[in-house]
Order: sequence, then C-alpha cells, then structure tokens
Amino acid sequence: MKSIFVAIIAISAPLGAQWLNYPTPGVPKAANGKPNLSAPAPKTADGKPDFSGMWQAFRGVMNTNRPCPTGECDELRDTDHWLNYGAGMPGGLPYQPWAAAKLKQREADLGKDDPTSYCLPLGTPRDLVAPGFKKIVHTPGLMVLMNERNASFRQIFIDGRPLPEDPQPSWSGYSTAKWEGDTLVVQTNGLRDDMWLDRSGSPLTDAAKVTERFRRPNYGHLEIEVSIDDPKAYTKPWTATKITENIRLNTEMLDDNCVEGERDMKHMVGK
Amino acid sequence: MKTLIAIVVAALAAPLSAQWLNYPTPGVPKAANGQPNLSAPVPKTADGKPDFSGIWRVERGRVADGPPCLTRGCQELRTGDQWLDFGAGLSGGLPYQPWAADAKKQRMDQEGKDDPTSWCLPLGVPRLLVSPELMKIVQTPGLMVILNERNAGFRQVFTDGRPLPEDPQPTWNGYSTAKWEGDTLVVQTNGLRDGIWLDRYGSPITDSAKVTERFRRTNYGSLEIGVTVDDPKAYTKPWTAKVTERIVLNTELMDYICAENEKDMKTHMVGK
Repeated sequence: MKSIFVAIIAISAPLGAQWLNYPTPGVPKAANGKPNLSAPAPKTADGKPDFSGMWQAFRGVMNTNRPCPTGECDELRDTDHWLNYGAGMPGGLPYQPWAAAKLKQREADLGKDDPTSYCLPLGTPRDLVAPGFKKIVHTPGLMVLMNERNASFRQIFIDGRPLPEDPQPSWSGYSTAKWEGDTLVVQTNGLRDDMWLDRSGSPLTDAAKVTERFRRPNYGHLEIEVSIDDPKAYTKPWTATKITENIRLNTEMLDDNCVEGERDMKHMVGK
Repeated sequence: MKTLIAIVVAALAAPLSAQWLNYPTPGVPKAANGQPNLSAPVPKTADGKPDFSGIWRVERGRVADGPPCLTRGCQELRTGDQWLDFGAGLSGGLPYQPWAADAKKQRMDQEGKDDPTSWCLPLGVPRLLVSPELMKIVQTPGLMVILNERNAGFRQVFTDGRPLPEDPQPTWNGYSTAKWEGDTLVVQTNGLRDGIWLDRYGSPITDSAKVTERFRRTNYGSLEIGVTVDDPKAYTKPWTAKVTERIVLNTELMDYICAENEKDMKTHMVGK
C-alpha cells in the first residue's frame, strides 16, 4: 500500500504554469477535421517509415498481479509491460531458478530496490514502456530516443556500423539497426548486469542481447516487438507481447528529473 | 582539501572501457597528408544552412592566467576556464548584483559543496555547453537536439518557427527556440528555474534570465557560441561570453550516470 503511494510520487508529472500546446505540424486530418490517426505512416526522404514523433506506451488495464484500489492508481494506468514484461505471455517469462527466486523476493520487498526508485536509468528495453512521454528523432544515420524521465536519451545507429564486440557495459547498451522491409530491426548488446526489466523485478544481465522490431503501421501508432536472449536469467529466448505506442500531439516533453527535491529514498523500506 | 580533490576527480573521471568505441566518423574532410582537415569548409544541410551535427567538446587548456582552481588538482583535469568561471577572460569578470557577488564568494568559500551537479542534478542552460564531457548535436530541419554524456541528458532547441511560451514550467534547460541570421543560429531560452549555477564558482542564474546563444560553425573542426545572459535579478547588466568547441572524431558518447554507485553526498560534501 505504501509502495503505491511512493509510485504515485515517482510518476506524477510536474504541474505546468502554462501547458505547452504548440500544434504539431503535418498532422493528417479526417473529414471532420480531427486528426486521422489511421492515415498512412509518414516516410523519410529515402522512402522508409519515419518514426519521428512523440509517443506514449499504450496504457491498458492494470495488471491483475498487482491489484489496484479503485480510484487510486486507475488514473496512473501503467502499461502491463511496465509491471511485468511477460504480461500476456502464457506461463509468463521463462525465468532461470535464481531469477524466479529474485523476482519473488523483490515482490515481497515491494520493489524497494528497483533502480528507478533510486533515480537510476530505465535502461533498454524498459525505456519503451515507462509511463511518461518519449520522443523519437529519426535522421538518416541515427535514431535518438528521448525520454522525459531524467530527460535522458538513447542512441540507435542506423548507418551500417557493426555492434562493438566488448563495449563498456551501460544501462542503454549499444544499439545498431537495419531495415527489413518497413520494419527497423534494432539489436543491442553491452548492457550492464542486474538491470530490472519491470516493476516486478524481472532481471536482465550483461549476457543479454535485445532485439526490438519497430513498425509504424499508421500515423497514430508505433508497434514494437521486443525479444530477449539472456541465457543467464532466462531458460530460453522469449518475445514479449506487442508493445503499442500512441502518438501524442500538440504538446511537448516536460523534463522529469528524479533527483530533484528527492525525499523518498529513505522511506523505501519494503514491507 | 584532499577529500574535495578526490571527489572532483571521482566525479569527472570517465569509466574505463572494455573496448574503446572507435567507429570512424563518416565524411571527415582530409588534408593532403591524409589527416583530418579541420579547417575545411563547414558541412551544409539540405536547405543550405550550416550543419552543426557532430560530437563536440569545449576547448580545454587552462591558460596560466586562467581562473584559479578551487583546490589543487584541476590542472590535470583541464576543464575549460568557463566551467570554473563563465566570466573567464571578461575584463572585470561578470557584473554581479551585490547579493550574487556574496553568494558566489560564499559558495567558493564552501568549496562548491552545494553545486547542483555535485548532487547529480542537471547542468542546465547554458552550463551544459562548457561541461568537460563530450556533447553531440543532432540537427534536423525543425529541431536541434543537444546530447550530453552527463546523465545521458538531452536538450531540445526548436527551429520550426514557434514562439517562446509566455509562462513555461521552469526547468533546468528552459524552453529554447531559434532562428537563422545568415549562417548564425540564434537560440533564445526562457523558462529557466531559479537556483541554477552557471559555473563551479557558483555564479547564479535566476528565473528572470533570458539566455541568447549564437551558434556559428567557423570551419569543419570548430563551433563558436556567443552566450549572452540577460538576468537583471543576478547581474547589473547583460553580458556576453564566447565559448569555443572542437570537433571530436572516431568515437562515441559514453553515458555517465552520476547517481550510479554514488557514495559522496552523505559523507564527504562538507565544505571546509
């Protein structure tokens, strides 16, 4: 219960003196003048889908494995993947025994050791499903993912470079991508050890290779299929249920600097 | 004294790499001897404007008459002079209001222990231009993004003709819009939060600040940024400093997450 309170503080966006409402240019319109979100995806100069835009992961029904008192966290409506990356997968994620034990212990501790509770980065691929806004800036050789959380970025190189063989481990890792038709296939290595994939505490280790398949089926939506091959933490490679991101129009990112005015850490004691 | 030096070194030290990122930067102009020709002409965007895209680092090299370090030890770190004092090289220094001069003096006396960056808070505008780590500019037709290694932070500069908002939510980076004057991109920023430090000495910037940055790429290898701060709460008149950045080739940004394994805040940051 207390943990819910903490989660609300951590996730709530600052209230603005003036809401940023500059109109997004080039929005396709339906006959009634409303944005036509099912219009075709925009294209870049070289004819590939353009993923540029501001996006927010689809916020569905609250995950049933973390009950939520009516009227309290309904409004937050986290994504299912934020709570558990295996949401919707029959049997859930194929945890190695130590990883399953870790998950159980982290749930018992109300996720008090979640790195994001200590203002550390989301990491890849958790950055896709954080509840705030993200923005994609898609250029010919580079795609930049910007996240409101800690006003932080991640680079995805699409200039044909190979993955480094032994990169310095980091939260975002090193990401390169190539096109398969209209799908951008992003591969990431160089992740640091002991990242949390989700609020439940599903682990991700430095053995992980992450593949993300980005597709923009129409103007208003982005679909991302995330596959994880991490033999240290999982008994076999797995692919999460499809992540859907909705376009966000006529507003802007607001920086959410977690360490600013931080008062919670000392309260994070678990049960 | 030792403690502070140790802290500064720990805070600025880059992580040691398992493998150095050395993918060659594409499109580097070469001189006859095969070396990069840094004085070659500036690359242009499709619409004929200078392209500021690239990895940049503020010019280092503390000159003998540069601002003194707060402690011993910063000669080797070779931060830019403006990291210590944004008014470095300006005759008479920055035109502080009396309270601001007092605040700066007190902050220096306290060895800068309350510097927001010591607490893993953002650099803010315009301090992110002079931070010693690498920064990358990604320039697109309607938006310029500035990426900093420190906290893997980004800042947006809108170049699509939108106006500055009248009363934006105050933030460390504020709200930045820009327009071209010839080959110079003139960036204007408002909406900065109160309590930002401009430099290690603790020169203040307040929520009344308007910051103008004039970006000019003088050749392939150099970027010059004229920074004008108009902040009547902290300064008796507007002032202008010039920041020089040099291109950095054949490497990549490495995220530096200040809060990771942080051990300094609770115990060591005590001032004198």
